[in-house]
Amino acid sequence: MSAAPVILTITRSFDAAPERVFDAWIDPDKAGRFLFATPDGEMRKVAIDARVGGEFVVVERRNGVDAHHYGRYEVIERPETLVFLFRADPSDEGQWTRVSIAIAPSGNGGCTLTLTHEMDPQWAAYEEQTRKGWTMILGSLAAVMEDDHG
Amino acid sequence: MVERLDATFQALADPTRRGMLAALALGERSVGELAQPYAMSFAGASKHVQMLERAGLVSRRKVGRTQMCRLQPEPLAEAEQWIAQWAKFWTVSLDRLEALLAEEQEKAR
Repeated sequence: MSAAPVILTITRSFDAAPERVFDAWIDPDKAGRFLFATPDGEMRKVAIDARVGGEFVVVERRNGVDAHHYGRYEVIERPETLVFLFRADPSDEGQWTRVSIAIAPSGNGGCTLTLTHEMDPQWAAYEEQTRKGWTMILGSLAAVMEDDHG
Repeated sequence: MVERLDATFQALADPTRRGMLAALALGERSVGELAQPYAMSFAGASKHVQMLERAGLVSRRKVGRTQMCRLQPEPLAEAEQWIAQWAKFWTVSLDRLEALLAEEQEKAR
């Protein structure tokens, strides 16, 4: 039985070289300042083992509660591709999702980052047609939000 | 919520079932009417309807000897909620990354 993925895609342009954008995701000092950071949160822990199979933990305290974010790197190809399995409170122990980050140079020294978040990594292998259909139906919301952002 | 979404997306993985949902979006249909565009037997169509029913996407009622199907869109709203929640989450991180990189650039000058 085949199943369709739930996929969320967000694209963002940066006025920075691909290497700088890529490094920010795996440098604990920089990651702690943006990744999973919320305006009123207090970053408690950033541990990153940036190797394929390595793991990361980012803990931010929000309203007195620690929000944990766990990841395991699957692909690290500087500066184009970063793929990690991802889990965040309050999801269950076994409930992993997959996040893929693709960074492409965009001319005049900048780059474009495309973040894809798949709800169930098992679904990643399913055929392109199904994927397209779902990205179209469900990803539209993210596209709308991105348009709002400008 | 995720378990229910599993059933939802399994039901939606099939183009025939997506077509049936599209037809149901226009109003109540009998199983026979749903089967018609696909050149399939009543039993075949009924199986598809059962999957949609299990996912909570379709409800059935009997009118005489006919089974009428109706769209139940709520499970789709759950999926949309998942997308919206994470879209917001990532947007916050990306906004901050943008600010961080701009700040660095500024310092380097």
